[in-house]
Amino acid sequence: MADNGSVKETLEVINNMQAEGVIRKYAIGGAVGATFYLEPSATVDLDVFITLPGESAGPLVSLAPVYEHLKAKGGRVQDEYIVIANWPVQFLLPANELERIAIAEAVETEVEGVPTRVMSAEHLVAIALRVGRAKDHSRILQFLEQGAVHREKLQDILEQSGLTSKWREFERRFLEGSR
Amino acid sequence: MSKPKLRTRLAALSFSEKVKILEKLRERSRAIAACGLRQKPSRKRDV
Repeated sequence: MADNGSVKETLEVINNMQAEGVIRKYAIGGAVGATFYLEPSATVDLDVFITLPGESAGPLVSLAPVYEHLKAKGGRVQDEYIVIANWPVQFLLPANELERIAIAEAVETEVEGVPTRVMSAEHLVAIALRVGRAKDHSRILQFLEQGAVHREKLQDILEQSGLTSKWREFERRFLEGSR
Repeated sequence: MSKPKLRTRLAALSFSEKVKILEKLRERSRAIAACGLRQKPSRKRDV
């Protein structure tokens, strides 16, 4: 893997891993996913949500096959990341139905000709709301300010995910008085 | 150009173009971190 890596090279490795059947589907989330819809903001890592072949819904699903595959191809484990083409990648298994649907309904796009998938804006916002750190709230506000979310679709996702009351709380804290 | 206009303009770029900017931002952060220009946190707190 190259020293002077790029997101493009990282995605090529992940696509190969998918083609070889190590992972089933993937979708980019986090700051890089948000960048698909918003202005770019500095980030040090790439969050990749994945499903595995034959994955059961149990809590004991392991990322070991992914790590073993990537280490054999020169990937380097660094804390919770595996560095691929010089980008630290955090592979995340869906922790709930919201994340599972977000992977399934991700948007097809490409980076310099390399096909990839990014979570929808509405799923990114719903996941950020659920995670609820200061930087997640800030990102939600960016999505709203830039009109990057379809409000009805977001409401549907929030209702399906049981996040309606959390959203009301978010609105009360951050949006009341700004309308 | 105003900040909101710049943000809108950046948001309208293609994903490939935005990823290039992300990579440059990351390179810059790493270069700053590597050259030690960041102020180390003081051990003693000012009272």
